[in-house]
Amino acid sequence: MAIAQQFEYVKPRRLSEAVRIASRYGNRAQVLAGGTDLIGLIADDAVKPDLVIDIKGISGLDKIELRNGVLRIGALVTFSDLQNSSVLARKFKVLLEMAGWVASVGIRNRATMVGNICSAVPCCDSGPILLIYEAAVLVAGPVRKRKIPISNWFVGPRTTALKRGEIVTGLDLPLPKTKHAGCFVKLKRYQGEDLAQASVAILALAGNSYRIAFGAVAPRPIRALKIEALLEGKALSGPLMDEAVRLLPEEIAPITDIRATREYRAHMVGVMLKRGLEAAVSRLKGNGPEYGSSVI
Amino acid sequence: MNNRITVKLNYETRSVMVQPNDTLLDVLREKLGVKSPKIGCERGDCGACTVLLDGKTVRSCLILAIEADGHEIVTVEGLSKESLTPVQLAFLEHNSFQCGFCAPGVVLAATELLEQHPEPTAEQIKEALSGNLCRCTGYQSIIEAILDVRPMARNSRRSQNNNRSRKTQEPRDGHR
Amino acid sequence: MTTLKYVGESATRIDGLEKVSGAATYVDDLEFGPNLLHAEIVESSFAHASIKRIDATEAEKVPGVVRVVTGKDFPYRFGLYMQDRYIFPIDRVRFVGEQVAAVIARDAQTAKRAAKLVKVFYEQLEPVLDLEQALKADAVLVHPDLGSYARCPWFYPQPKTNIAHWRKTRKGDVEKGFEEADVVFEDTYTVPRYAHCAIEPHAIVGHYDLSGRLTLWSASQSPYTQRHVFAQALAPLGISHKDIRVVTPYIGGGFGGKAGVSMEIIGVALAALAKGSPVKLRWSRSQEFYNTYQRQGVIARIKMGVKRDGTIIALEHTLHWDAGAYAEYGANVVNAVGLSATGPYRIANVKIDSVCVYTNLPPGGPYRGFGYSEFHFGLESHINAVAKKIGMDPVEFRRRNAIREGDTLAYGAQMNASGLHEAIDRVAKEIGWGEKEISRDPRKAVGKGFACFWKAPAMPPNAGSAAFIKFNEDGSINVIVSGMEMGQGFLTVMAQIAAEVLTVPPAKIRVELPDTDRNAYEWQTVGSHVTWGCGNAVRAAALDAREKMFTVVCRSHGCAKDTLFLEDEHVKCRMHPDFKLPFRDFVISGIQTAQGNYLGGPILGSGVFMPEFTSALCDPETSQGGHPNVHYTVGAAAVILEVDKETGKIKVRKATLAVDAGKAVNPDLVRSQIVGGMVQGLATVLYEDIRYDLRGRLLNSNFTDYKIPTARDIPDEIVPIIVEVPQPDGPFGARGVAEHTMIPAAALVANAVEDALGLRVKGLPITAEQVALALLDIAYEDVKGSYRGFCFAGKADAYAFHAEGTRRKRATNGKETQSRKGSLK
Repeated sequence: MAIAQQFEYVKPRRLSEAVRIASRYGNRAQVLAGGTDLIGLIADDAVKPDLVIDIKGISGLDKIELRNGVLRIGALVTFSDLQNSSVLARKFKVLLEMAGWVASVGIRNRATMVGNICSAVPCCDSGPILLIYEAAVLVAGPVRKRKIPISNWFVGPRTTALKRGEIVTGLDLPLPKTKHAGCFVKLKRYQGEDLAQASVAILALAGNSYRIAFGAVAPRPIRALKIEALLEGKALSGPLMDEAVRLLPEEIAPITDIRATREYRAHMVGVMLKRGLEAAVSRLKGNGPEYGSSVI
Repeated sequence: MNNRITVKLNYETRSVMVQPNDTLLDVLREKLGVKSPKIGCERGDCGACTVLLDGKTVRSCLILAIEADGHEIVTVEGLSKESLTPVQLAFLEHNSFQCGFCAPGVVLAATELLEQHPEPTAEQIKEALSGNLCRCTGYQSIIEAILDVRPMARNSRRSQNNNRSRKTQEPRDGHR
Repeated sequence: MTTLKYVGESATRIDGLEKVSGAATYVDDLEFGPNLLHAEIVESSFAHASIKRIDATEAEKVPGVVRVVTGKDFPYRFGLYMQDRYIFPIDRVRFVGEQVAAVIARDAQTAKRAAKLVKVFYEQLEPVLDLEQALKADAVLVHPDLGSYARCPWFYPQPKTNIAHWRKTRKGDVEKGFEEADVVFEDTYTVPRYAHCAIEPHAIVGHYDLSGRLTLWSASQSPYTQRHVFAQALAPLGISHKDIRVVTPYIGGGFGGKAGVSMEIIGVALAALAKGSPVKLRWSRSQEFYNTYQRQGVIARIKMGVKRDGTIIALEHTLHWDAGAYAEYGANVVNAVGLSATGPYRIANVKIDSVCVYTNLPPGGPYRGFGYSEFHFGLESHINAVAKKIGMDPVEFRRRNAIREGDTLAYGAQMNASGLHEAIDRVAKEIGWGEKEISRDPRKAVGKGFACFWKAPAMPPNAGSAAFIKFNEDGSINVIVSGMEMGQGFLTVMAQIAAEVLTVPPAKIRVELPDTDRNAYEWQTVGSHVTWGCGNAVRAAALDAREKMFTVVCRSHGCAKDTLFLEDEHVKCRMHPDFKLPFRDFVISGIQTAQGNYLGGPILGSGVFMPEFTSALCDPETSQGGHPNVHYTVGAAAVILEVDKETGKIKVRKATLAVDAGKAVNPDLVRSQIVGGMVQGLATVLYEDIRYDLRGRLLNSNFTDYKIPTARDIPDEIVPIIVEVPQPDGPFGARGVAEHTMIPAAALVANAVEDALGLRVKGLPITAEQVALALLDIAYEDVKGSYRGFCFAGKADAYAFHAEGTRRKRATNGKETQSRKGSLK
């Protein structure tokens, strides 16, 4: 089935030019990076742009750099780039773990993490990870640049805080100052390529501090602040984790859809939380399962 | 609006007119005469449209042709021109493919894998192939062939990775 | 018995090089030049509606549109076993997605855009989306004119109902059998619909040239049957069969979905109307899901009576099939099961009712296994349950009842030679049956499951095969047949058979893909029958060629024919060891005599195979008296799986399957069918999950949400086992195996899950979600919301199994209704 929608295509060389065009066209234009989400939407007539703005010609957006304790990931960095990054392998292992769970190689070679959060589907893999790293979304607009905290980024399904004319240029992830380890758990219908039925991202920081986020069990990826508060400062134990699981109905609002029932999602998030916490804490101690192996 | 794009396709410079909404897959097949990338789902789910873009596997159904301007594309036709590559020979010897529709995509995925990991484990092979759907083979013959491409440690690695199953009944009689 | 040289060898596939190099060509790869037109259909958005009016004026105005076609342009019915389908429906649509009209345009994008501008005005009718509703006396009828449809004589539609066909098999006296039984147990099992998901979508290009010659390039398993159906459907145009040519290049997977005729008829009609230009119609992946054949859903009631010693005394098997909007092919699935739903067991008293019910869902049709996967799920699950009730090991139970050569089948004919007991024993040994395994991980439980299976090709009694063999100047051979290579290795196996007779190595043999102008006839490549049927024809053709070679050698050299033999591409003589005549010296140019003239000429062999011993004629109330099935292929299989009790996830650690191939012409290819079939079978039970909404619209018509296995979703180990008890009328003893390898999968998993968890699941699929919820005592049926997977709104156990408005007595489900002599497990 060919793409019926007819549109113009531009590939600006400079960010300012891209922003100018995006401002002029508003939602009649779509920004194209990897295209693994956008092209399918256009082919489905779910999105009908008059203009596609290809930002792959803008230099400087494809870097991964750790500077002054902040990891900056450019908008054109693909999931494969993340997988091949030595910085991530040394310092951002949970992010690396998540990258490996996205789709398959052929998609990861094109798909970008920025594109993933711009799609803002509730099951996006990047959302929970960026939440636990307390990332900031770097945005260039017609008037100014701004940094949007990830906690404000996701407004609802397929809706972000991006304003007309703005383009995301990258992400900033502050490296946690204390020793930490983590775990990303993705529930899929099988081992192969799949969207998340539910996901849990955990950072365990030295001193029994946790950052926990969930995906695909609410209209947007969310931090589990109540559970974090419960666990704060306490050594992990079976009864404590059971208590955390009992708090889940206050944190998440899973639905029944074609991919899973709310009952299964609710149950599995509890299982994933427990196993994820155990794995994160073990890794913090220097043992635990290898990053990239699934705990479910 | 028509645009002229120039690509290096299977080591040859080619130039063609495209519309912005032409996918790379359609342009390869309809305008550049390259038929090995197949239309399987046009949503990037099946991998039958896989090509190597600047050396990396991508889903050509999710790429606009115009995005490929100035880039390098290799398909199975490019690999096979002079002679079969070692992985193609392994697939042939192992009778890896059945209907053959997924084969071009699988060959390219395997090619990319072997370039990065000349001696992949069965797990690495499965991950590298997980974006190429095959309905016929159950993947076992494909995985065995790729394991066989490695130059060293043929026998010991093979039994570790459960190759014995297909071979317990009769010895292979090799290439005819 | 001479040693075989080529048959029995794991030869390299003769199409292997084409497929690894990218040279293999499929329909969508063919080029037709700048005059090629493209078509896009307009689809119904209702499951059941009258078509009031179609307004194509906006679409016709779009530049590049050549024509808009509707049912009025082609008011003809067609169908394989029954003519109940229209090319484009005239009066009403019967499933969501059904083609109502088509746009032919100069390019694909224009066709797509214009198709959206065609306006169709409907009056909605109540859709039939529930089997129980469909069978009520006052049900809305999907086919009010059922009584007027032409059909083959051994189908029994019930006019003024939604019953397209009803196969009844009666052997012995089941009521008496149940009385004599020590234990009687009955239960209900459900199997939903499934999609084939061949990676190549359906496609067709048709060209009705200006001289009236119609050529089709079709992604089909069945070129000759397609030609025949096209000719019948276009009969009003008066095109002779000889003027319709169907060419089938390689197909990217068939699995039955490319058998018969589905979307191709649209391409034919459009070509006929766009005379002078070729027209291409290619299905999208979505259309592959909802507008090609699907595997039918079924709800089955099994009542089995056994003696304490494990003998099955009586079996009552009632199956109600959700056959979809058209049953022209699917009715034969129902029929085949109606004859064979005893499974591979000897049972004295049998009652089978297999009922084909119209619904407003996509048409059901052939899918690898042809109804046998569906009924084996219930039967092989039930056998485990019954064995448990009498305290017998389920494998031993199967051994005791396994059918043997000569036993009487349900319809009165005799069972053929088969190695079922050998298969059972070898599988039991391979899986370590009887040895309980425990997982090292306390969260996981390990279970083993076992099942037997059988299947016969379901064909009309006159499904013939033919073959030509021609030699070339250098002694190489072309084998010209119309069996279809869809990946199973058909071309290679035919080459090996020809090689064995003619002593020409397979490397010097081409087997040609079908072209109805040039290639000899083959009914269809379905039913796992072409190795046997077409193989017999190829062998006959090779023998014919050999005979002609001997004849010309005798004429020129004056020797006796019975002294001659072939070896290493030479004609040799037992009486004269020095005599060696190479083929290339005479197979085209003949043999020169001393006088200088030449005898012989081009060597050509032809062969035909017809299963002359079969007949579908039988008593319609009992199915006795016929010989509808040529033979059965049998086998056994087992799995070991591990279940995570918290997540419900199932990992198959090992699967093994033994199938009696008679003679494995190419053992490697048989093993490939076992591995591929096992994975496809496991996918139906573990992952694939069709979902409809309450209006009959398919919700997951894509690979994102209909999951077929990737390389990461296969068992850790699959052990194929080949049993060889020769099929006496098969080429070198061979019989088919390609469908059989997926048949036992669902029952294997259900039985293994019960072994691991004590949980008996009686409906498919068995996903991680369903297992996890079941372990939490949540019935999946209660929570799945408005996503319908199965054509019955209520709980399976409540399904009434009535038909024609007559309510049958229904025993309590899952309970025994009778027991004798003391306590039971």
